[in-house]
Amino acid sequence: MRSGSLRTYSIAASTSMRERLAYPGNFAGSMFTYALFVFIFSRVWAGAYAGATEIAGYTMRMAVWYFIIAEIPSFGFGRFFWTLSRDMKSGQVAYLLARPYDFVSYNYAEKLGGSLAEAGVILAEGIAVGLLLVGLPPAAAPGAAGLASALSEAGRLGFLVVSLLLAGTLNYFLQAALAMTAFWPEENEAFFWIFQKLTLVVGTLIPIEFLPRWAARLAVWTPFPYLSYAPARIAVAFSLPEALSLVARQSLWIFAAVFLARAVFSFGSRRLSVNGG
Amino acid sequence: MAAIVADRLSKTFSTRVRPAGRLSALRSFLRPENRDVEAVKGVSFEVGEGEVVAFLGPNGAGKSTTIKMLMGILRPSGGSASVLGLDPVRDRLELSRCVGAVFGQKSQLWFHLPPSDSFRLLGAIYEIDDDDRKWREAELIERFGLAPFWDVPVRKLSLGERIRCEIAASLLPAPLVLFLDEPTIGLDVVAKREIRQLLADAARIDDTTVFMTSHDMGDIEKVCKRAIIIHHGEVVVDETMKDLRHRALSKKYVGVRYASPVNLDLPSLSPVKRTAVAASYEVDTREHSLAEVVRALAAKGELEDITVEDEPLENVIAGIYSARTGAEAQAFGTGLPGAGRAAPEALGA
Repeated sequence: MRSGSLRTYSIAASTSMRERLAYPGNFAGSMFTYALFVFIFSRVWAGAYAGATEIAGYTMRMAVWYFIIAEIPSFGFGRFFWTLSRDMKSGQVAYLLARPYDFVSYNYAEKLGGSLAEAGVILAEGIAVGLLLVGLPPAAAPGAAGLASALSEAGRLGFLVVSLLLAGTLNYFLQAALAMTAFWPEENEAFFWIFQKLTLVVGTLIPIEFLPRWAARLAVWTPFPYLSYAPARIAVAFSLPEALSLVARQSLWIFAAVFLARAVFSFGSRRLSVNGG
Repeated sequence: MAAIVADRLSKTFSTRVRPAGRLSALRSFLRPENRDVEAVKGVSFEVGEGEVVAFLGPNGAGKSTTIKMLMGILRPSGGSASVLGLDPVRDRLELSRCVGAVFGQKSQLWFHLPPSDSFRLLGAIYEIDDDDRKWREAELIERFGLAPFWDVPVRKLSLGERIRCEIAASLLPAPLVLFLDEPTIGLDVVAKREIRQLLADAARIDDTTVFMTSHDMGDIEKVCKRAIIIHHGEVVVDETMKDLRHRALSKKYVGVRYASPVNLDLPSLSPVKRTAVAASYEVDTREHSLAEVVRALAAKGELEDITVEDEPLENVIAGIYSARTGAEAQAFGTGLPGAGRAAPEALGA
């Protein structure tokens, strides 16, 4: 029995995106907070870089642009847990299950579709704020000119977009797995709180190169750097081999996260207990 | 062939019990205690193809839980169910293509988008090709009068308009079975009347099996042909609406108004309401002959008006709901032991 087609999921994503874009004012809060964070961090880096041109291989301009890109997944893809948890606690999930689709795939399409609208708006804002604060990001291929430079910039942009989409996807499946633990204890917010803090520390607020060497070595074996570090690193220190490696590792973690989310759903949905009307 | 079969279907939920006293939260965390709650206790019934059935019961009776088991959303703790010959849990995906559902308190429409967008998505979910969807949409727009707000965001629709869209949306994939959970909740009188007519038409035109819960007697009387009443997790009544109405026929409300004040008491019947010249009486026809009551009242003085009304069906349902046991509920209004109504007795003039 087929359970939903690519067309179903693409229409779900586009419908969700149009729903989010119906009220552009909805983005005002996130846009303001994001701009404030970027401004504050740019001042923090200005202080940190006083008397230093480079820290752990990053110039101040790189560090500011790193933060601008690393925060996009947090603002664009940071609420999957809450929306799915809300559906589960309100009992809405029971009605969503009674449809001829694969629930996890459909929910991914719907949630990611809506979030892409917000992530796109934040990305555009981030580029504008970054240009105002520190100017253009470092060149993708320093020293190159003409066609070579244009190709490098196009390559970096392409990898950045792919890496951001993969970060959104990885974010969804990890957060969905956490949200669906509500099939067991309903109060599962502590899991997400830990997840959020680890994501912030490992690759969002600062590049993992800034961490102690042992922590950085450990971090690359966890999924957290692939939620924000990967796209931010591609944006500020682009090299084709590293970009390929980061995208490949993001993809591997997505496979693992999809497996995890599906397993949690498969076992959890058998325990679904929605009492009352 | 039966469209829906429930065979000793039961559902038990396990709920956390919080101990009383100091440090209760800590003790509950360290040594959790659970209590089993039997939401549905072995209900059995069959619904034939094309039947329109009211599934009734007081709050907490197990109605929604039963519907969720029939849709494959919840796994039964015991017994079995079959809808359109499919096992709702094992064949959930296949079944979901053949059944529709409207839950009055939940929405399947996108709040900030017009209904047309939700219908397009539902068409994709049910894998209806675009031409078929447009043809079906046009038919539903016509039948449900959706044209004036087809392109208006759902948030701007009245509740009545939204429910019309919800029901039309649930009919888009032409379901063979339609589950309706309180479809008219919160609607005004006019909107309720419209929705009931649309539901009755949908059942008739599409030959859809309708399984509906509602607390509104108007919905049940206007739309359904049969009622299954569930109480304390058990089926206590399963009969046609005609038979259910018969339970009400044994009680009549007689109202009289005289031209001048009279003694309004009858030897074994006192008014339930009275003024100097008017009164109303609750007459159990198994205790008193209606003809004798009317004759006795006519003999009291010059009558200006007299009315005889049936007991509202709502009272019968309320009586069944307030029963303490299944046997008491089954007997309510039938004259059987436990019904609380005695055999007829003569009314002295």
